[in-house]
Amino acid sequence: MTDDHDGVRDLLAAWAFGALPPAEQRAVPRHLARCESCAAEAEQLRETVRLLDGPPRAGRAEGTVPAGGTPRALTAALRARPGAARVAPHAAAYAASVAGLQALLPEAEGRWSTPVVHDWDVHATVAHLLAADEPLAGRLGVGARVPDAGEDASVDWTDAWNRRTAEVIAQEHARTPEETVADWAAQAAALLAAPEARDPEPAARATTLMGVRLPVADHFVVRAFEAWIHTDDIGRALGLAVPPPPAEHLWRLVRLAVRILGLALGPTAPPVLFAVTGGEEWILGSEAEPVRAELTLDPVDFCLLVGGRHTPAEVPRRAAGDQGAVRNVLERAASLSWL
Amino acid sequence: MVVPVESTGDTSVQLPVDAELHRRLVYGDESALAEAYTAYGELVRRVAVRVTRSPGAAEDVAQEVFAQLWSRPYAFDARRGSLRTWLSMLAHRRAVDWVRSEARHRKDARADDSALHAIPDAAPGPDETVVDRERSLLLHTALAELPQTQREVIHLAYFAGRTYRQAAVELGIPEGTAKTRLRTALRTLAESLADPPDPALERGA
Repeated sequence: MTDDHDGVRDLLAAWAFGALPPAEQRAVPRHLARCESCAAEAEQLRETVRLLDGPPRAGRAEGTVPAGGTPRALTAALRARPGAARVAPHAAAYAASVAGLQALLPEAEGRWSTPVVHDWDVHATVAHLLAADEPLAGRLGVGARVPDAGEDASVDWTDAWNRRTAEVIAQEHARTPEETVADWAAQAAALLAAPEARDPEPAARATTLMGVRLPVADHFVVRAFEAWIHTDDIGRALGLAVPPPPAEHLWRLVRLAVRILGLALGPTAPPVLFAVTGGEEWILGSEAEPVRAELTLDPVDFCLLVGGRHTPAEVPRRAAGDQGAVRNVLERAASLSWL
Repeated sequence: MVVPVESTGDTSVQLPVDAELHRRLVYGDESALAEAYTAYGELVRRVAVRVTRSPGAAEDVAQEVFAQLWSRPYAFDARRGSLRTWLSMLAHRRAVDWVRSEARHRKDARADDSALHAIPDAAPGPDETVVDRERSLLLHTALAELPQTQREVIHLAYFAGRTYRQAAVELGIPEGTAKTRLRTALRTLAESLADPPDPALERGA
């Protein structure tokens, strides 16, 4: 009995939807001509699809997209959410991080007190970012939430930083999350509107912030890094996947972090060939000795390590050679405790 | 009788492409929105027209669908399905909502005869009886309420024009599973016609 009754019966729904490959398509009518029960079921299913279809729409092309210009469908979308600010490449990663966090925050509606990291909830995490962007805003003379005090070398910057974060979080908890978000977004927009965000020339000026002297262009990259890491924190807390920044931005973060890691390791550390998957390689540590070990990390994992979201022990890696030299690099990267 | 075949491979790159596009949407890259519209705008309208029977309404639905994709991008998770099925299902849901609210509106307007022809766009065409129109809405409502695993296959096989085999590859499920889901889904829909679940819709007939 090779009329494959069961086989054809299993195909009837796909047949009714017109979703059979040609060979199987031909098998169905042959069987229906001989099998009343299948014919009855086929008829019922076909009728159901006919009703889903509705009548043929003579003369009107279904679903054609009108050509040319920004379609009406998209102007409404762009009104609801403007795209990332258009800035010079060195500030584009920050513009993207700001856009990514701004799009995430509506998802926190009604859940602002969800614990995120440290002892911060979502509201406090945004307040922290508001505080964390202040020094650069002060230095560039935009936003002006606080006067720029300069960086006092006698005071440990992390103390000042932690004190200011605690202060702003306390202030902001007395306000609504929406107010805090509005202030954070306004300060971010002011930073992105500054000449230093639009023009590489003023951005080349070096200045010391968070204990490190870098061109303003790189301080924008640091801001991007922190905004993304905290967006990822908030996403995790809310159960939403936050994809890593697009590759061109991610690589900017990686390159800056490698440079700072190199400085932190100093010129005498045991040399390690450090590679980031899909990109470049660097020799970290002493230039006077042969390479002792090789270490490869994924770009996102490397950023999460530098951002304090992976521990040196558990960060996924490929390593060969002197394990002590590898551990030294991983621990130094984690100790940057950038955020 | 159906032998499992190796995947054709032509849809297997879909997920990384979606993930990349989604990443750019999240980070506010407007060109990603335009790309999503170029890739899926036609499908979204096709789904919406089929449910609403109205190009104008389909345009509104497309507008809502892409506004949602862009302004609430985290609602889509590239690890849990393709952008194609996600947008198709969103368009369908929005289109069903549109027809239902339009039907309510129409009913309200019936009390006020002057407003009866206010929405001629979605009125049944000459080939379509009012009863067919009601039954079609009933079916689309039932479709929108099917379990997601069944809806995904229907959206690919029916709205997006895939064979059940292609749909299986795109969803990463065995072909037999795709066939079974289509069958279970379509039988549920056929039965919903025999046994309408929503008395409010019956009153409207």
